Amino acid sequence: MKATRLFQVTALALVVVCAVQVGWWLFDQRAYAIEKVRDARALYSQQIAAAQALLDSGTPGGRVSALLPGVVIEGKRATLAPQVDEMLLSEERRRINQYAWEGGFFLLALALCNGVIFRALRAEARVRQEQESFLALVSHQFKTPLASLQLSLETMAMRPLSPDQSRTLIDRMLSDLGRMEAMVTQILESVRLERGRVDLRREPLELSGAVGRVVSHLDERARKERITICADIARGVYVLADPLALDVVVRNLLENAIAAVTPVGGGTITLTARQLAGEVELEVKDSGVGFRPSDGSRLFEKFSRLHPGGGSSYFGTGLGLFIVRRLMQLAGGRVSAHSDGVGQGAQFVLAWPVAPAGPT
Amino acid sequence: MNTPAQFYNRILVVEDDPHLSAGVMENLRAEGYDVHAVADGQAALDWLKGEQCGLVVLDVMLPQVDGFTVCRTMREQGNSTPVLFLTARGDPADRVRGLEVGGDDYLAKPFHLQEFLLRVRAILRRWDWYRSASATPDSAVLRFAGNEVDFRAFRARSWNGLAQELTEKEAMILKVLAERPGEIVSREDLLEKVWGYDVFPSTRTVDNFILRLRKRFERDPATPRHFLTVWGVGYRFLIEGES
Repeated sequence: MKATRLFQVTALALVVVCAVQVGWWLFDQRAYAIEKVRDARALYSQQIAAAQALLDSGTPGGRVSALLPGVVIEGKRATLAPQVDEMLLSEERRRINQYAWEGGFFLLALALCNGVIFRALRAEARVRQEQESFLALVSHQFKTPLASLQLSLETMAMRPLSPDQSRTLIDRMLSDLGRMEAMVTQILESVRLERGRVDLRREPLELSGAVGRVVSHLDERARKERITICADIARGVYVLADPLALDVVVRNLLENAIAAVTPVGGGTITLTARQLAGEVELEVKDSGVGFRPSDGSRLFEKFSRLHPGGGSSYFGTGLGLFIVRRLMQLAGGRVSAHSDGVGQGAQFVLAWPVAPAGPT
Repeated sequence: MNTPAQFYNRILVVEDDPHLSAGVMENLRAEGYDVHAVADGQAALDWLKGEQCGLVVLDVMLPQVDGFTVCRTMREQGNSTPVLFLTARGDPADRVRGLEVGGDDYLAKPFHLQEFLLRVRAILRRWDWYRSASATPDSAVLRFAGNEVDFRAFRARSWNGLAQELTEKEAMILKVLAERPGEIVSREDLLEKVWGYDVFPSTRTVDNFILRLRKRFERDPATPRHFLTVWGVGYRFLIEGES
C-alpha cells in the first residue's frame, strides 16, 4: 500500500516535471523564433541604412536596388520590400504555430498516458478492495455456522443431555458442517467462474429431460416442505448449453424457490418453457415470500441474500444466484428475476440460445 | 401480560439463524430463564410493543430491520430493556456503535457459551440492583439543588424547570453516585457497576457521562458543586453542594 502510494506520488511528480518542461520548451522556442526574426529585421535595417547612405551619396536608385534586393527605393527613400516584411512575419507565425502544435501534442500524449496509468491504478485498487471485502464477507458468512457448531459442542460438554437431545445437537452440528462445506464449494466455484477458468461446452440439450432430472432429485425434499414442483415443458425443445452448467443453474433456482416457499408453509413451484426467436426461456415461478421489485437485479450480486424473514429456515450462502448469473453469461444466455413484492411470489427466467437441429 | 417478577426473568432472543437461535434458547431455558425467540427485527419491535422482558439478546445482521435500528428504536420509544448484541461483526467500530445506540453489552460470534451466560447474568444482575435500589418511593426519586430525578421513569426536571430524558446509563451512574453521597467513587467502580465488563476501551467514557450529568443538573457546569472530580481517583457526589 505504502509502495503504491510512493509510486503514485513519484509518477505524479514526473508528470508535473514533464508538463512544466514542455511548457518551458514552448515558451523558449517562441522567444527564440521572435528573436531570430528580430535579428533578421536588424540585418535588413542595416541594408536599408546602407541603401539610404548610397542614395544620399548620389548612387542611382536602380543600382542600389540591384545591389540590395530586399530594399525598395521610393524616390530618395529606402524602405524594406513588402514581400520581405511579409516573409518575416509569416516565418515568425509559422514557427510559433509549429511549436504550439508540437507542444500541444506532447501535452496531449502526456495527459493520455497519465490517464491510462491512472485508470490502471484505479482498476487495481478496485480489485484489491473487492478482494478484501470478499474476504470479509466470506469470514462473516462462516461465523454463524461456526458459532452454532461451537454452541452445540459446548452445550454437550456442559450439560447432561438425554439421548434425544444429543441426537438433536448432533444433527444440528452435521447440518452446520454441511452448510460450511456447501459454502466452501460455492466460494471455490464462484472464484473459478470469476477468473474465467471454466471451459463450458455448447451442445444441444433436450430441456425437458435435463430439467426433469433436477426436479426428480429435489422432489422429495420439496414434498417434505409441502411444496409441489410442477414441470410443464414440451419434449423436443433443444437448447445450446453445457450439461453440468444447466444442471447447476436449474438446481440453484429450484433450491432457491424451495427456500422461498418453505417459510409460508408450502405452495407450488412451476417450471414452464417457451421458444422465442433464437432462444428458449425457462421460467421458474414460485408462490413464496417474494422480494421487493427494486431488488430484482441486486439478487444476483455476491452475498446479497434474500432475507424473507418470518422464520425462514434457509441457510443461503449468498453465492447461488451469483453463480447462476455468471454461468448463464458464459453460456451466452441470460437470467432475470421478478417479483410483485414481498409475499407475492417470484419468477426467475433463464434463457439459452436455441439449438435448432437437436443433437447431431 | 406478566407480573414484573416474571418478566425480569424473561429473555427475548432475536436471531435469524434457526440453529443458533435454538441453541441460545435451549441454554437460556436450561439456566431457568423464560425465553421467547423471533427471527427478524420488525418481529422483535412488534413483540416488544405488547410484551415486556428483562433482556433482549439481539443479532445485528437481521432481515428487514437490523439490530442497531431495533435497539435505537426501542430507546426512542422509551423502552429501557437492556440489550446484549450478539453478532458476527466483531470489530471495535461495531462494538462502539452497538453501545452508542443504547446496547448494554456486545459479544462477537463465535462465542463461548459460559461467557455468554455470564454476561447475561451480569446484565440482569445490574438491572436487578438498579430496580431494587429504586424500588421504594424514597429511593425512586432523588432531589438535590432544585433538581428532581425519577429513576423509575428515567426522567428528571432540572433546577431551571427543564424536563430531562435520561439514558439508562446516565440514570445508572447517577444512582451509583446517589447511593454513596459524599463518598469517593472510582471510575473503575462506576464502570463495573454500570457496564460491568470491558466493553469500553477506557475510563474516559465515564468522564463523558459525568460531563453530561453536569450539563443537565449543575447551574454552572464549568464549576460543578455536586458532581465533583477527585483527581486521579474518580468522583464525589454532594447532595447539598460544595460551598
